[in-house]
Amino acid sequence: MSRSLFDKYGGFASVSKVVSAFYDKAVDSDIIGPYFDDIDMRAQVDHQTKFISSLMGGPASYSDEALQKVHSGLHIDRTSFEEMVKLLHETLEEFAFERADIEQIMHEINSRADIVITRHDS
Amino acid sequence: MDMEQFRSMLLDSVGVGLAVVDHDGFGVLLHNAMFGEWFPDIVAGDSTFADVLPKFDAELVTQKIAEGETWKCEVEVKPKRRAISLAVEFVPAAGAGHGEIMVQCQNISKIKELEYMIESYSKMIERQNRDLKKEKERVEKLLLNIMPQQVYEEWKEFGVTTPQRFDSASVLMLDFVGFTQMAVSQEPTKLISELNDIFTSFDRIVEQFGCERLKTIGDAYVAVSGLPEQNPDHARNIARVALRFVRYLHRRNENSEFEWKCRVGINTGAVIGSVVGVQKYVYDIFGPGVNLAARIEAVCEPMEILVGQGTYDEIQNEFRLSDFGEHEIRGFGPQQLYRLDGDFTPANDSI
Repeated sequence: MSRSLFDKYGGFASVSKVVSAFYDKAVDSDIIGPYFDDIDMRAQVDHQTKFISSLMGGPASYSDEALQKVHSGLHIDRTSFEEMVKLLHETLEEFAFERADIEQIMHEINSRADIVITRHDS
Repeated sequence: MDMEQFRSMLLDSVGVGLAVVDHDGFGVLLHNAMFGEWFPDIVAGDSTFADVLPKFDAELVTQKIAEGETWKCEVEVKPKRRAISLAVEFVPAAGAGHGEIMVQCQNISKIKELEYMIESYSKMIERQNRDLKKEKERVEKLLLNIMPQQVYEEWKEFGVTTPQRFDSASVLMLDFVGFTQMAVSQEPTKLISELNDIFTSFDRIVEQFGCERLKTIGDAYVAVSGLPEQNPDHARNIARVALRFVRYLHRRNENSEFEWKCRVGINTGAVIGSVVGVQKYVYDIFGPGVNLAARIEAVCEPMEILVGQGTYDEIQNEFRLSDFGEHEIRGFGPQQLYRLDGDFTPANDSI
């Protein structure tokens, strides 16, 4: 029986560490930092932990609808999205995730790009 | 490097914010790098602790310190974008000559984050538990459609059920005269919809009198009383159910485009009840008592109820019955049958 990535890397405890480290980078980034001004970081880390966990085969799930609703007011553009992807990738590497597993997670994230990106610079 | 340099380096590299303040006015005398990062305005003299810390009461803090105790609070600061939760403690500075106070600040952001997450997940689990419970109840309800409660409990506990013999139970069999012809000649959807309606009403009546509906087969309806729990009134209950059925149909026929004509056969005797099947379940009853009920029904006239001797013996004092004569019943020999006309309660069950 194949283990989910979620179980393989240690469940919520590990994922929350990854997410927390990711947000440290995110808030310091010039590109996406501003999105996090005046945000309740605790809730943010909690949501993201659940989301990444679900991508890794863990419990909880976010429907595409829910994702869209949450991001729709933020007017995220492709540049910001790609910055987020880059920072997440870095964080996963720092936590010594295997290359193939990182690719799988990034694939899941990228497949939802069109739901989250709502601003298109011509 | 000497001890002095080492201490200095240590002070600035710890993740704890430290400051020494004087007891009178709480001005900052010394501080380390971390404290400066978290409270730049206090260090610069632009703010005081009273401005920054919730519930800070200079008098109270001074008093506690004088008593050799400490004063704590939590606060959120935002040196950069991300807010940090701090636990701030005012402690009497050891070995201080003039009653200076040590302020220690610990970064408890991670703990706060985890607390939040634990709360969030326990809510999630509670929600899932509630959903699971609802689902379980739904499944239970479905299973209870197939088998009686008692049998379900047995199945739930042991994983299997054993056939049970009931010494005395009453079986009711009903079907409709000419249903097949009706099905062929009329519009089937409407017909079936009406049949469904009728059976649903029958189910209600059956429940009302503490009986069990066993199954329906096409236009046939089978109910039983006295199982799975023994019940001395089983014959009486089934008789009342039968009378109600007929009354219901009479009333319905007044307003329906179809004329529903039922035949009802009732028999009382020993019966075996069991869950049948492995993947697909059905709770059914077996035994000669069951077959006899079916055969009694077969000789029944439209809109009449026929009962066997066993039933007659049980209910003769409370119901009006007329002699239907002796009939040769295949497999049982000659059987004395009776027609159930009503009970003795006025304006109640009489047809």
